[in-house]
Amino acid sequence: MTQLLINALIAGSFAALMASGLALVYGTLGVFNMALGQTALMGGYVTWWASTSLGLSFPIALLIGMVAAGFVTWLSFEFFVEPFFRRHRFLPLVTTIALSMILDGAILLLFEERPRSIQFLNAEPVTIAGATLSLEQIVLIICTLIFLSLTAWVLTATSLGRKIRATVLHAHAAESLGIPSGLLYRITFILSGVLAGLAGVYQGIDQNLTPVLGFSITIKAYAAVIAGGKGSLKGAVIAAYAIALLEQLVIGVPWFAGTYISAGYQSTVAMVVIIAFLLFRPQGLFGSTTRST
Amino acid sequence: MAYFLHLLIMAAITIPTTLGFNFVFGKGKILHFGHVGTAIVAAYSLILSQQVSGSWFQAILIAAFCTALISLFFSWLALKLEQDAFGILSIAVHLSLLAIVLNATALTRGALGIPGIPRMPGMETPEVFAIVVVIVVLVWIFFAWKLNASTFGRSLQALSEHRHHSEALGIRRSRVYAGAFLVAGLGTLTTNVFFAQYLGLLHPSDYGFPALIFMAMCIVAGGPGRVFGVTFATVVLILLKEGLRFLPVTLVPLSLRGPILLLLFGVILSVAVFLRRETIFPKQRSV
Repeated sequence: MTQLLINALIAGSFAALMASGLALVYGTLGVFNMALGQTALMGGYVTWWASTSLGLSFPIALLIGMVAAGFVTWLSFEFFVEPFFRRHRFLPLVTTIALSMILDGAILLLFEERPRSIQFLNAEPVTIAGATLSLEQIVLIICTLIFLSLTAWVLTATSLGRKIRATVLHAHAAESLGIPSGLLYRITFILSGVLAGLAGVYQGIDQNLTPVLGFSITIKAYAAVIAGGKGSLKGAVIAAYAIALLEQLVIGVPWFAGTYISAGYQSTVAMVVIIAFLLFRPQGLFGSTTRST
Repeated sequence: MAYFLHLLIMAAITIPTTLGFNFVFGKGKILHFGHVGTAIVAAYSLILSQQVSGSWFQAILIAAFCTALISLFFSWLALKLEQDAFGILSIAVHLSLLAIVLNATALTRGALGIPGIPRMPGMETPEVFAIVVVIVVLVWIFFAWKLNASTFGRSLQALSEHRHHSEALGIRRSRVYAGAFLVAGLGTLTTNVFFAQYLGLLHPSDYGFPALIFMAMCIVAGGPGRVFGVTFATVVLILLKEGLRFLPVTLVPLSLRGPILLLLFGVILSVAVFLRRETIFPKQRSV
């Protein structure tokens, strides 16, 4: 059981990084970025390329990966979100799906289809309370918690965070008070990309990077955002960890007459549970019910 | 001639599913991205039933029942969830159905697909196959055109423009949504009756996310809600897709065709959305 909880913590940390970025963007702009999974892969692949092909040290490669993910997200905003989201907030949902295909194609052309893994510490696994986990995983979990805490701190305790929250509450009122909402949209979007890029590096270290992962990563993270209550950073993070725990329980616990569910159905069962939950509580864990039109 | 027949058959096979999906995504403005999930249910229930019973007629009846069930399930989800949440979770349902197909190997042979699918009696030659498919698609276009202009079509459009006003005027959203999703299901069933038997193979890779992008692209490029526009866009995009597939290996190596197709379709969809950004999700009509 301890191993299941540790596995959920590892998988949940990855999903929480993605989901927090998505929740941030949804909270600020009210749009979904369906290409964020591919952005995460781009961050991971660039880090892998910088460390293996260019032979750079891991911290510098990581920095390059983050910059690349942030740059891709900025371009996504300028060309696939900004020209559309003021017309209708659902338009970027379609345009970013198109972008996800473009990035999928670009990743396949640039990095090929074979799995790539990022070498980090290569230390011996350690045992904590009967559960085995690698040193890389411990570092990744701690880094995730630091990044998430930092994001929460920036949003709640800094001037920038107050400006972002003011824009979320009423963009026009915030603009009339001199808050540059356009700049804040860009900062939020780029921040979500950097968090996604970090998640991509996490994936490359913990497992491996393959081009087909992009879309399933996005969907799982969005499931967390919706289940947590759209736009709620706290809800997205809690739901991401809850979904990861659910997925571990699905395959790690004997269900019917002592039989185990195949790992192939792990995500399917989790999605069914989320859909069932949303049918009873459409606004999610921390969302509020409002009539849209 | 064989290549022309292939293009004709592929275009004709694809039109029913795009026209059906057009009622949900194009006309109804419902963010349904799980249409390929419906296609998976239609295709696998049809082919597995055909293999068990040996009868195409029985198989079509069973597949129609299964497709209607999954269509009504999507319709129910669309009613219960918020628009964008439904968009995301409909993709989740699609991916879950794909995961079931890939993992239930004893039934579906997983990633290997089901080979050796026979054609319906009398449709063995490409010429006869093409004639039957073209007749079916012409009937479908006529049906979609009539439906588009009917009370049902107008109700669907009214709901997409202003849901609460429409409901206040007596349009029952649950009934109209169920109808739209059932029409979309019927379209995808029609396509899948012909698709696997034409190729002689039912393969899960044909039911991935690019298939949905292709359909969304046909609708956006052809004009959301427009029957003839979507039909024309489907034909043009099928020509493009199949044309790229048959380019000489020396010009575009096989390994690069998949990524290039992804890039190309992504760019086309983006440009189409940009050009139609005023009409995809319309503003409310002012009276």
